[in-house]
Amino acid sequence: MGAAISVTPSASVALEVSGLHKVFPGKRPVHAVTDVTFCVPAGDVIGLLGPNGAGKTTIIKCVLGLVRATSGVTRVFGAETSNHPGRVLSSAAAVLEGARNTYWRLTVWENVCFFASLHGVSARDPAHRRYFEGLLARFGLEGRLKTPVRELSTGLKQKVAVVSALARRTPLVFLDEPTLGLDVETAYELRRLLPELARDEGRTLVISSHDMHVVQAVCRRVVIMSGGRVIADDEVANLLALFRSRRYRLSMPGALPGDAVAGVRSLDAAARIEVEDGVTKLELQLPAAAALYRLMDLLRDAGVVVETIVQSEPDLEHAFLELVRRERERQ
Amino acid sequence: MKHWRTVFAAVLYRDLVMFQRYAFNTVSGLITLYIVFLLIFFGISKFDGGAVVSASTVESMIVGYVLWSMSIAVYSELAWSITNEAQVGTLEQLYLCPLGFGFVNACHLVSSLLTNVLFNAVLLLAAMATTGRWLLIDLVSLTPVVLLTLGGVYGIGFAVGGLALVYKRIQGFFQIVQFIFVGFMMVPLDVVPWARWLPLAMGNELARRIMVGGQRVWHFPVGDLVTLVVTAAVYLALGVVAFRVAERVARNRGTLGQY
Ligand SMILES: Nc1ncnc2c1ncn2[C@@H]1O[C@H](COP(=O)(O)OP(=O)(O)OP(=O)(O)O)[C@@H](O)[C@H]1O
Ligand SMILES: [Mg+2]
Repeated sequence: MGAAISVTPSASVALEVSGLHKVFPGKRPVHAVTDVTFCVPAGDVIGLLGPNGAGKTTIIKCVLGLVRATSGVTRVFGAETSNHPGRVLSSAAAVLEGARNTYWRLTVWENVCFFASLHGVSARDPAHRRYFEGLLARFGLEGRLKTPVRELSTGLKQKVAVVSALARRTPLVFLDEPTLGLDVETAYELRRLLPELARDEGRTLVISSHDMHVVQAVCRRVVIMSGGRVIADDEVANLLALFRSRRYRLSMPGALPGDAVAGVRSLDAAARIEVEDGVTKLELQLPAAAALYRLMDLLRDAGVVVETIVQSEPDLEHAFLELVRRERERQ
Repeated sequence: MKHWRTVFAAVLYRDLVMFQRYAFNTVSGLITLYIVFLLIFFGISKFDGGAVVSASTVESMIVGYVLWSMSIAVYSELAWSITNEAQVGTLEQLYLCPLGFGFVNACHLVSSLLTNVLFNAVLLLAAMATTGRWLLIDLVSLTPVVLLTLGGVYGIGFAVGGLALVYKRIQGFFQIVQFIFVGFMMVPLDVVPWARWLPLAMGNELARRIMVGGQRVWHFPVGDLVTLVVTAAVYLALGVVAFRVAERVARNRGTLGQY
């Protein structure tokens, strides 16, 4: 009887990527993804971050079997999927980047029904039908069911793509740049809806986005990529804490003398210097706590009077930029 | 597991909706093909110096034309729709179907074959009414012959569709293939015997014998039937294998999408 209820340890893990490599062949092979390993617990919402070309889309497509990985192992809910793309598909859906993802000639409702049917979820089942209607209402599309997607605005089109993916009712959903091209308000709505969905339905979401506000609001954890490698993999709260105590904004009357500027630059603190109405504003991220003394010393030596100094609240965007900058410098 | 039925119904419904919503395209396509037919018809009448063209020439021409029209429909349905969906970015969503893209595509091919037959039945009627030549429509004999003839065309469609997955922007090549089909059908088999192994050639010949000559499928020499079956099977198999290989290459190069 034990076998029947044996719970594989990884059943609570929605997605495991380990040692994933992807080299796109060609005259000049592109090392798009290099030795990427991370793991997404079931029910979690994680953000996949990274500058353009970091390899986010490639990872998502490798997991889905749309791109063949050069090497590495991917598991979805404990089942190895690396060489069995069919297996991952029964539990995963996706909105892919830069693609329409929906038929523009069909109406909103037709699209949702069609793509859900590909996963065997049919609107002829009243329960599924109600689910579709609920989902569309949540996304503010209930008045547009009969509108051909072609006639919708970019933002609404993107929402239809998201709904069409969610309607497949898979436990794992990939959203590659779901907020691309959306106005602030729509992106804000998505920001509210996605965590709600994950919470209410216990789905696992993997979201790649350049919109740090969305990621910060939606994701509990982030995997940050740069140049095809993972450079950080942690909870958002921890990443923010890492940068909390070291971010400062100073303001000083007049322009900074040259030697002070050179001194500040030498601190390796991603300093931003702006002069506004005769006041110099200096914003920096100190690499270590002791660097604050060095900063104050060099300003004093240059005869600069510091008017105000504030420790600024870090946000994910700063943490991200800083991590990527350090990674690039390391290379 | 009735999952496959859900997918089949969905694809059928999608194609039906697209078909009726874009009925104008269908009708204008039909009119274009009909006009081209008229041009050819009056063309060959002129060519014969205004004399009465032999009845069998016209009748053979009708058979060939309708078969060609069915072939380009089959071919473009495969090659063109895959390319188009890859470009606009719905193809990858179809690849996400757990039953596989192959299954989704097969459903689409079935539904498009139905519309193809309807469409060309209308074209055939129009052609026969215009020329006053009423051909013999022996469905028992025609169905297997036409399906086997189209089998080879499906093979070519798969192969070209596969090429399109790997090499984008080969639209120019698409059109050329449609005209190569004409060549396959025009080769006189009694002069160039090996041409019977070309796609379409034997099928066209047998369809003509049925519709013009009034033969039935069991009247044909076994050798001709074997040629028909073997060419259909070989071209179809080669096409499907080529498509599979192309899929692998596309997955490797990341070109299933629009990259
Ligand atoms: N099909 C392909 N063939 C060759 N190189 C590719 C292909 N697809 C992606 N690349 C390259 O692989 C690297 C990673 O690309 P990828 O699209 O995964 O990055 P990304 O993190 O999603 O970027 P973005 O933020 O711009 O979407 C890039 O250098 C890109 O140019
Ligand atoms: Mg991307």
